[in-house]
Amino acid sequence: MGIFGKKKPAVSEQQIKEALSQVQDPDLHQDIVSLGFVKKIDFHKGKVSLIVELTTPACPMKEMLRDQCVDVVKAIEGVEDVSIEMTAQTHRARAIPDLVQGALGQVKNIIAVASGKGGVGKSTSAVNLAFALQQKGSKVGLLDADIYGPSIMQMTKVGKPEETKGDFIVPPIFAGVKIISVAMFTEAKQAQLLRGPMVAQIIKQFLTQIDWGELDYLIIDYPPGTGDIQLTLSQIAPITGAVVVTTPQEVALIDVRKAISMFETMKVPVLGVVETMSYFMCPGSEKKHFIFGKNGGRKVADENGVPLLGEIPIEPVVAENSDKGKPVVISDSNALASLAYNHIAGQLAAQQSIVNSQSDRALTHFKLEWV
Amino acid sequence: MSVNIQVKKIWQEDARTLGILWTTGKKSLIDSVKLREACRCALCVDEWSGESKITPGSIGDDVRPIVVQSVGRYALNVHFTDGHTTGIYTFDYLHEIF
Ligand SMILES: Nc1ncnc2c1ncn2[C@@H]1O[C@H](COP(=O)(O)OP(=O)(O)OP(=O)(O)O)[C@@H](O)[C@H]1O
Ligand SMILES: [Mg+2]
Repeated sequence: MGIFGKKKPAVSEQQIKEALSQVQDPDLHQDIVSLGFVKKIDFHKGKVSLIVELTTPACPMKEMLRDQCVDVVKAIEGVEDVSIEMTAQTHRARAIPDLVQGALGQVKNIIAVASGKGGVGKSTSAVNLAFALQQKGSKVGLLDADIYGPSIMQMTKVGKPEETKGDFIVPPIFAGVKIISVAMFTEAKQAQLLRGPMVAQIIKQFLTQIDWGELDYLIIDYPPGTGDIQLTLSQIAPITGAVVVTTPQEVALIDVRKAISMFETMKVPVLGVVETMSYFMCPGSEKKHFIFGKNGGRKVADENGVPLLGEIPIEPVVAENSDKGKPVVISDSNALASLAYNHIAGQLAAQQSIVNSQSDRALTHFKLEWV
Repeated sequence: MSVNIQVKKIWQEDARTLGILWTTGKKSLIDSVKLREACRCALCVDEWSGESKITPGSIGDDVRPIVVQSVGRYALNVHFTDGHTTGIYTFDYLHEIF
């Protein structure tokens, strides 16, 4: 290169880092460099390759963040090409007690799907959210803990467990999700007759003797309501977040408040409210019919200071496919309900990531007395 | 949904002003009376029109909070000296208007 040749400015790692620090994670309100998301920076001549690690494979902002990273790095003089590998590593917010170490030791997030009352679409939500998270690239398990009315063996075509590993039962897999249901171990009729202490015993077995292996999310379908069983479950399993499912009716909302406060008393963060059967749209029409009332989920979420994760329409294909053992998100991905479940799965994952990373940056509980 | 705004710090700035530092970096200094007027609870807002039922000037200038406490993950509740205790303000809302 002669003295008249234009020397290309060399790109430095520092420059790349500075550029990337303009990219903010919109949920965590911090730039991706100080959050430690940038795992690897390689550059050779004008080619830059990066590894960016997010807090969940189900991050709803993944594509947006990737585009922003490409844009800011490309803007550096001398950079011609940028390739970015987006990976994800979920983190665990709660320590795992010894009792469940063998079963849940490698499970990062344990999410309770609960409801104040029965029949609101809780199990349908738990199942579809599990499959939606799985489709977004997470390792997912689904535990049907509704001891009096287990339904997940009907809602999916999962078989019974056939394998054991030492003292542990290996969960069968259906469409990529590991599934265990109380119904695999007890007869439905029998369960009705069980008394409190026996129920607690079954729950304990259930939580301690399954070989879940490594999971990003374990979704637990809770029995409806806020009684002893729910408390026992939350005491034994280190739940990292709870989702409360409701229909929009006013009468349902009273029980939702109870469910939210039950989790709060146990210091389980409520990730948000899911409203099901929110509206009905006639095929071919855009008009939403609010059969069970409107905005109930929004109202109860606001009143309790938790997010509304989303609203799921009433759609016959949800019930039909569920009865056939084919959750709608895997059998009909274009259904409105599938889109809603997918959206909610992303929000759920984002909320769990926020909760997991928040402890040191935000005040979670405060009480200020005026003087 | 932008419900991810959190409180970093909350304090009493002076006799009538509440201070909040948000995780976004924004700082809000909120006057007690304005806070009372901004209440969106079912008693203060018309359920159908969504409009505030508080007539401007109707809140006494001496109204102060008694206690300000967190509700859930995204809201706070204020008990006021005029006896009003049902106000729940989402962080989002406060962050936006103050
Ligand atoms: N979005 C929807 N559209 C249409 N039907 C739905 C929808 N969600 C759930 N259903 C149907 O409503 C019924 C109740 O749903 P689900 O079993 O999920 O409720 P649940 O809250 O788990 O009830 P339980 O208290 O009995 O466990 C089921 O028949 C289900 O297929
Ligand atoms: Mg159910």
